[in-house]
Amino acid sequence: MIRLTIDGQEIEVREGTMIADAAARLGIDIPVYCYHEALGPLGACRMCLVQVEKMPKLATACTTAVAEGMVVHTTGPQVDKGRKGVLEFLLINHPLDCPVCDKGGECFLQDYTFRYGPPQGRFQEPKIQKVKDGPISDLILIDQERCVLCQRCVRFMDEYVGEPELLLEGRGVETVVTTVEGRPAQSQFAGNVIDLCPVGALLAAPYHHKARPWNIEREESVCTLCPVGCTTLTTGRDGRIVRVEGRPVVDRNWGWLCDRGRFGFDFATHPSRLVNSRLHGREEAAARTTREIGQWLREVVAQEGGEAIAVVMGGLHTTEEAHQVYRFATEVLGTRRLVVSRDVPGYVPRGLNGTFEDLSAADAVILVGTDPYESAPVLHLRLRERLKNRRAPLTLMGVAPRNLSRSTLPVETLVTHVGQEADVLAAALKEAAGDHPAVAALLSQGAGIARGIDPTQVSQLSRVLREAERLVVVWDGVEPDVEHVLAALAQARQGQTTRVLPTFGPSNWRGFERAGFDARFDALTRVLEDARDGKIRMLILWGADLLKDYPDRRLVEQAYERVEWLLAEGVFVPEGAEHFDAVVPGAAPGEVYGTYVNMEARLQIASPSVNPPGQARPTKSYLTAWAHALGKPFVVDEEWDPYDDASGDLLPEEPLPQDIEAIRAPDLPEGGVELLVSAQVWANGIPSQILEARLEAAQIARISPLDADALGIREVGVIRVESAEGVLELPVRVDEHLTPGRLLVPLGVGALPVNRLRPGVVKVQRLEEVQTP
Amino acid sequence: MLDEAKAILKGLGTTFKALAAPRDTYPYPEKRREYSPRYRGKHMLAKDEEGHELCVGCGLCEAVCPAHAIRVVAAEAPGDQPVSWTNRYSVDYEVDLIRCIFCGMCEEACPTNAVRLTPFNELAAYDRQSMIADKQELLHPAIRK
Repeated sequence: MIRLTIDGQEIEVREGTMIADAAARLGIDIPVYCYHEALGPLGACRMCLVQVEKMPKLATACTTAVAEGMVVHTTGPQVDKGRKGVLEFLLINHPLDCPVCDKGGECFLQDYTFRYGPPQGRFQEPKIQKVKDGPISDLILIDQERCVLCQRCVRFMDEYVGEPELLLEGRGVETVVTTVEGRPAQSQFAGNVIDLCPVGALLAAPYHHKARPWNIEREESVCTLCPVGCTTLTTGRDGRIVRVEGRPVVDRNWGWLCDRGRFGFDFATHPSRLVNSRLHGREEAAARTTREIGQWLREVVAQEGGEAIAVVMGGLHTTEEAHQVYRFATEVLGTRRLVVSRDVPGYVPRGLNGTFEDLSAADAVILVGTDPYESAPVLHLRLRERLKNRRAPLTLMGVAPRNLSRSTLPVETLVTHVGQEADVLAAALKEAAGDHPAVAALLSQGAGIARGIDPTQVSQLSRVLREAERLVVVWDGVEPDVEHVLAALAQARQGQTTRVLPTFGPSNWRGFERAGFDARFDALTRVLEDARDGKIRMLILWGADLLKDYPDRRLVEQAYERVEWLLAEGVFVPEGAEHFDAVVPGAAPGEVYGTYVNMEARLQIASPSVNPPGQARPTKSYLTAWAHALGKPFVVDEEWDPYDDASGDLLPEEPLPQDIEAIRAPDLPEGGVELLVSAQVWANGIPSQILEARLEAAQIARISPLDADALGIREVGVIRVESAEGVLELPVRVDEHLTPGRLLVPLGVGALPVNRLRPGVVKVQRLEEVQTP
Repeated sequence: MLDEAKAILKGLGTTFKALAAPRDTYPYPEKRREYSPRYRGKHMLAKDEEGHELCVGCGLCEAVCPAHAIRVVAAEAPGDQPVSWTNRYSVDYEVDLIRCIFCGMCEEACPTNAVRLTPFNELAAYDRQSMIADKQELLHPAIRK
């Protein structure tokens, strides 16, 4: 520890700390442009000049490490003069076009110039003209005249993301930030440079000239497009959300977002948004629809009791809304058939659930099935940040039916067959701790043979399982048996930490569980089977779209046909609209207050910035109306609080699961192409006009170059996929990263109804080749 | 008796004195008062010599307005047809003349000298709606007769 004095206050900090950080601890504000804690020191902008006693000249606070007995002055005539000079230089070629700049009003260059800058510049010569509002990509604009060359954007893309798409070009005053060879930046993390830019040089194209900081509603919110649940700020203007920014939370996250979350906010104003009630397929007044549904509910409850009604919770609802539905279903209707819409069968017990802090502290991370870059982009960034920390090495392994390694995140992947992940993990566990009773119980049915897998790789995996002090498993939930392996693993590793981060959806499934719903896949399957067998008369889908999501499409179709009444609430019309007796429009995220629970089981509050459009209403309006129709008192409990006193913003801790279920070795597919499903944020079925082109490009099945060659597909084509369950026509794209012998299909895309088939070996045939533009 | 007569004469004296005195009122609208050129009346939006609007829709007038009487919606100019002198312009510019207190702070805040208060002060209408001056109205300021 090192003691130093800053502005007369003494502080003790760790060796290697920069003066700027030490001052920040004391609450002393040092102006800075180029320095960002996540990126490290650079010293490019010279804005943070401070006076250090016994140093002949002013020093930059962001690059000068503290030293014993140092005395620092952050104010005083010498510092003021230094900052004035720096700002005068920064403004020499600045166009001073604040009235037309989107950053005006929330700009550090403005703020610091007002606070520290000179009243007048002495530079009289004409300013250098550079590119204004030029594109970095279709979503990001650059104004090179406003740039102060702090290099945050360049360094973020290069060092942090690992996709160096931005660079500095030219010399001296002619230096500009530009893209590599003028190609648009394609990275899904490129949008973060907008937040990073301290001046108005990098701007969001969809927000361009839309609003100013004083005429907007800027609310703290949470992104709901994937289970990471990034903290955001949403900007509402005139009843529409016009911008989403990342919101850093101290000691927890840097406020990074992926472009899907940053620019995909417009689904709530998408033309396909449901804003009117539909009764028997026709648009109908909200009051009439609500009344009619009330009649049906009364009829079913009077004739057969509430147990003839089942509620499936899904979509982008808040935990509070789920709890309102739960209370309505149990107290007013009297049913216990309350389940969560699921698209994969896996489940993670709360006792195993880890947090992002566990990830930062982990010495080994195993990705099971999931590629975070596709399914949870900001988790990918977290992994990269963890991997970059050279002081504590990280072992990163993958167990998946495809190679998960990327140039930005090398993952030693154990490539399995489809449905073999649990068995391979079990085999490694057998080698690591075969004599542990939990492992013995797991393997009692003969699992853990890892057929066709290189034994040295299994040994390597088993070494990680045995030796890692703090292990984090990131799992996509596609192969349900993995849950039992993880439970046995956690027990066998008593004394060492084993935590799991689930990347499956719906993004708030843990919140629905907290509200009282059964989030297990089997519970949903039971409800659907009961519906198919005629035990359920009314099926209510609250935000869920089962035909699109549930892995067995035929069962859903049968259930839909059999039930007497089929109701849905949602932001979009669910698939199979002809089956529905009534569809009512609900409020989207950003339109209601509530909490969301992310993959860490962490509760995060979101405040609304706009009102629901058209006839869309929040959940409680419908429930209150129907309770009234049923003649039962129902007061929506605003006081219900999902928080727990002891566990803070995490859901209450639970013990490790004790009962270990034995798993079986899978029947391995023989030859052929294996169908593989995966959740991907760019192909999760939620539309966006801003991202339309990118979403379209992502909503396509993928095939390896080797298989494409065999089929005669060059870049894009249409294939016919056949299995025992049926036939499917899919558009495919060649993906050079995909392991040969695999056909990867994103889950939840209406145009790719992969739930007609079951994952496993399929017969693939080329239909036609689509001309690439 | 004499006192009463005195009082009447005194009163009439005042009346006749006032008849001869210069008038305080004006025969409006036949005759109009001269105002100072700095008089703050109805707003206008100015254009430059080339006919481009000076307003860039920065919204500073909206921000500074103590009566919340101004509403500005900005947008990017359609590619080939510049509306203002730069690529940003105001699509909507409204002044609620009932709310406005004619303090002139919008004029003071305007970085491009686009919004100006003219001496025009004949502000009357039959309903409140027509007291909201829209952009077209402000671009074509009324001239005092």
